[in-house]
Amino acid sequence: MAVLNQPDYPAIEFRDVSRRFVLHHERRASFQDWFVGLVRPRGAAEEFWALRDVTFAVRRGETFGLVGRNGAGKSTLLKLVTRILEPSSGSVRVNGRSYAMLELGAGFHPELSGRDNVFLNGSLYGFSRKEMARRFDQIVKFAELERFIDTPVKHYSSGMYARLGFGIAVHMEPEILVIDEVLAVGDQNFQQKCYRALDELKAGGTTILFVSHDANAVRAFCDRAALLSAGQLLDVGPAEDIVDHYQRLLHETEPRVSLLRVRPVDRLGFPCDEVLSGEDLRVEVLLRIPNGGGAAGLGLQLDLIDDAGIHLFGASVDLPSDLPYARQASQRASDLPDTRVAELVIRALPLTTASVRLVATLLDLQRDGREVMDRRETQARVVPGDYTGRGLLRLDHHWSWETTPSPDAANLTAGQVGRH
Amino acid sequence: MVSQTAEIIRYRSLIGNLVAKDLKVRYKSSMLGFFWSLLNPLLMMMVFTFVFTKLLGETIPHFPVFVLIGLLSWNWTSTSIAAGTTSLVDNASLINKVYFPRILLPISVVASNMANYILALPVILVAMLVAGMDFTPWILYVPVIILVQMTFLIGAVLILSAVHIYFRDTTVLVEVGLLAWFFMTPIFYSVEDVAPNYVSLMYRVNPMASIIAELHTVLYYGGVPDPFFMARTFVTALAMVVVGYLLFNRVSRQLGERL
Repeated sequence: MAVLNQPDYPAIEFRDVSRRFVLHHERRASFQDWFVGLVRPRGAAEEFWALRDVTFAVRRGETFGLVGRNGAGKSTLLKLVTRILEPSSGSVRVNGRSYAMLELGAGFHPELSGRDNVFLNGSLYGFSRKEMARRFDQIVKFAELERFIDTPVKHYSSGMYARLGFGIAVHMEPEILVIDEVLAVGDQNFQQKCYRALDELKAGGTTILFVSHDANAVRAFCDRAALLSAGQLLDVGPAEDIVDHYQRLLHETEPRVSLLRVRPVDRLGFPCDEVLSGEDLRVEVLLRIPNGGGAAGLGLQLDLIDDAGIHLFGASVDLPSDLPYARQASQRASDLPDTRVAELVIRALPLTTASVRLVATLLDLQRDGREVMDRRETQARVVPGDYTGRGLLRLDHHWSWETTPSPDAANLTAGQVGRH
Repeated sequence: MVSQTAEIIRYRSLIGNLVAKDLKVRYKSSMLGFFWSLLNPLLMMMVFTFVFTKLLGETIPHFPVFVLIGLLSWNWTSTSIAAGTTSLVDNASLINKVYFPRILLPISVVASNMANYILALPVILVAMLVAGMDFTPWILYVPVIILVQMTFLIGAVLILSAVHIYFRDTTVLVEVGLLAWFFMTPIFYSVEDVAPNYVSLMYRVNPMASIIAELHTVLYYGGVPDPFFMARTFVTALAMVVVGYLLFNRVSRQLGERL
């Protein structure tokens, strides 16, 4: 514990932290699926890295902002700090008693009174009844709920709910306070009150990790900040600089040419995780070409690599300028106008059974050499279906033999003909 | 393991508050709510008494008392297991917002149903008084039996709530399993009378059979309990807690993404 008292010992320390999520297209979440899965192999799983190799430290007593677009990984990072998630790799160290406000009033039970909820909420964070009783009056005073503290919170307005939640948080005397976007709720008055309370905590030496979309709030309130983009830490530094960087990123008008997705599809264009041996393999590749630009000068390369790392197949093509737009492209509306689609068809897939990686590579042919612009891959399973041959490959074959002209054989043949 | 135990101790007030929350929400309309929860076993007692003594000619004397003892204990088990199995999924939003030892969720389900059971126990004594039955000092052995049942239930809900995270249709199996289990437990019959050949098998594979038989011994028969009988059940229960704890720990690391 002595170490904790040293002022330069970081309050929060991330070292090469990555967090992966596996998106199962057919998730096995019941016995039924599990039994089906025994017969039929599992479908392809898509990996998604919410955070990749993130390293940073928040100093003791510092107010540290976290900015980035939706989906940049901010929430994942906060969940790692608060131990709701564990990192897939790397280490997360949080030194000191933390209190997380990922949502105001998280853990409130609607049927219980404000009073009961204060004690219940305190115990969710490991505070005893006695410790909460000591803070109770201050919390109620802060939340301005003296008259309603014995009313079930289901009757509270959203403002009352938020005030009580925030009141509990700031009176917990946390060494580290984690705040996710919660100040957006409530009126001006409430927000000012919250900032005053946070200023007091700051003055008292509390480390604050602060996430907000409000760039000005981060600029005004934080000492330092970090900018996240697509799971990676782009920049760490003084809050002013980081917010400037973030705003440049937001107003960036030229999204890059990139690969959005690669996946096997069936004849109708619906995604499938399994491919039948001997059937056509169709691989759909979605590309982003911003601002309606042409695809001329771009090369697309597709490789099939099996589990053992054997390069089974590779082909490349120069994309035509008028590459068609994707029909229903993607769930995200923002992708629509820029999304183009290309499809590779391998006739009568000559593999029997295998788990293959489909790797798409986008090349810039205009630069000297062939510069890799983007790469994306997915897994697919080849299943044998009713094919019974052995080995890795399904080669076009037939059995043949010459009939030797002997009387027995002639009889036999005659017999066979006779049976037919 | 040591740090986890220390953590659970630090969060001990959470169990109390979760139990208090549960009871308050359940008995919201004050005393009436509590009596309502007593009504269920009393009505069941009447139905069983009617069916078995009037229709089927069961001859166990003081049958209502006999069946009430088993029903109250069984209710604790069935409600704990049904609610304990889904306790993690039911609290998914909380789990995704606040860190606390997740193991306390299924444990608090057992604890709040235990509180409910203990609050209902005086009804047995009233029923015995009404039936004119004698009490013996062995009634003081009841807390030991409650302790064994609590241990057994904690083990069971730890295992089932962990399995439920992977297999959401566990609830369906639990529902059917509880029904089958109810009939396979000597609640409204006595194994010794009905199936003497199965007595030792029943007590060996079904901890609830042992627990309810022992309750019958000390309350209904007013007899002397055999200490080894509960000791064996307790060992089984402890083994389940260990298995459940290990399994639960594996699962709880992944809860953030599985829920």
